[in-house]
Amino acid sequence: MGTLTVTDAVPVDRLVAWLSSFRDAVHEQGAYLTELDSAIGDADHGVNLVRGMDAVMAAVDPPPSTPGELLKKVGMTLVTSVGGASGPLYGTFFLRGAAAAGDASALDGAALLTMLRAGLEGIVARGKAEPGDKTMYDALAPALAAFERSLSAGEHLAAAARAAAGAAADGRDATEPMLALKGRASYLGERSVGHIDPGAASSALLFEALADSLDAR
Amino acid sequence: MELAREMVHGEGPAVEVAAGAAGGFGTDATEVAAALRRAASPDGVLVLMDLGSAVLSAALSLELSAPSYPVRLSSAPLVEGLVAAVARAAGGADLEVVAREAEAALVPKVSTLAQPVAERPVAPSADPAAGVSDTSVRLTLINPLGLHARPAAQIATAVGSLAATVAVEAGGRRADATSSLELLTLGAGQGAEITVTATGADAVRAIDAVRELVLAGFGELEAG
Repeated sequence: MGTLTVTDAVPVDRLVAWLSSFRDAVHEQGAYLTELDSAIGDADHGVNLVRGMDAVMAAVDPPPSTPGELLKKVGMTLVTSVGGASGPLYGTFFLRGAAAAGDASALDGAALLTMLRAGLEGIVARGKAEPGDKTMYDALAPALAAFERSLSAGEHLAAAARAAAGAAADGRDATEPMLALKGRASYLGERSVGHIDPGAASSALLFEALADSLDAR
Repeated sequence: MELAREMVHGEGPAVEVAAGAAGGFGTDATEVAAALRRAASPDGVLVLMDLGSAVLSAALSLELSAPSYPVRLSSAPLVEGLVAAVARAAGGADLEVVAREAEAALVPKVSTLAQPVAERPVAPSADPAAGVSDTSVRLTLINPLGLHARPAAQIATAVGSLAATVAVEAGGRRADATSSLELLTLGAGQGAEITVTATGADAVRAIDAVRELVLAGFGELEAG
């Protein structure tokens, strides 16, 4: 699997590689995510995502035949296995993404962008998050914007995904000084300031995983 | 659940629980969707939830199951709202009334615990503005639900534009009549006596407006 160009399409096995890479990342960073969550939430974000992504990888083996079916399976599995708020949120992200992917056999840059955008819109519809609320939105929205900018500039898919991952990481870091206005952290008021949002941190991992899976290997 | 069922002695609406995900805390939207199907009724289903993922999963469950019957996601407090909703639904009330009842379910607790307010003596004469122009009337609420959200809003609207300071007192508590929320916290039900006091140029008009609404049962008598 070489580097994908903008006109290349991402087939199911690349998307499975993305999910697998995300699973590995939440395993590796699970303790860190839970630690972030213990500062301003209920100390289960890492544990929940590890359980969810393990269930996802079991559910997509063998993988469904189209990206749409794959993403739907991912969404439903997260909804039933995560438990915390990240279940319905990431679940909605993948379910809406699945609907946007339709029955295409592979996703090119534009289709990938449409899929991710539908997922983000789903998260916004579900959680009513706005920019600066100190949520996963604050990592996902800049990531998508960077992805789109990069594709429009004619860069390769892998480069676009790498730009998106960088923007997601910046977005994650930018949540540290924010006052939480949504989710469990919002109950803490001022005490939520000075901590990175765990949802933004896992969202950054999701985009880093995407970049890794689209890179040449 | 048991607490709520005690209220209705075994006869009551279907109550289904969807709690826990993957054997632990949290919620699972597919479980919520399954509970919705079990409780499905053309009369509608009221969904009560606590916080966090429960709210998100309940909303997602509607997207997953696209129910053909009316479903309301209630912002009511889970425990108090459930007891109030089950009691009301067992009495044959429709979804809208049950939903309203659930959402008002904190009022009794708020009234009981807010002692400084509850015990504050009613003393209209303590108001220095209460002079010759003040006027008051005692009225009995005849509509079935008393001073709930809609009547409270009607009163607040009716007196809001008048040049008068209007207060409503019931059960030893006093509320600003221009605030439907304050009126709600009086918790005045059917048969409750309220005292309406008004001061200012439009005092008489304000009293007349409230009296008219109360005597007409807030337009709810035909419906009830």
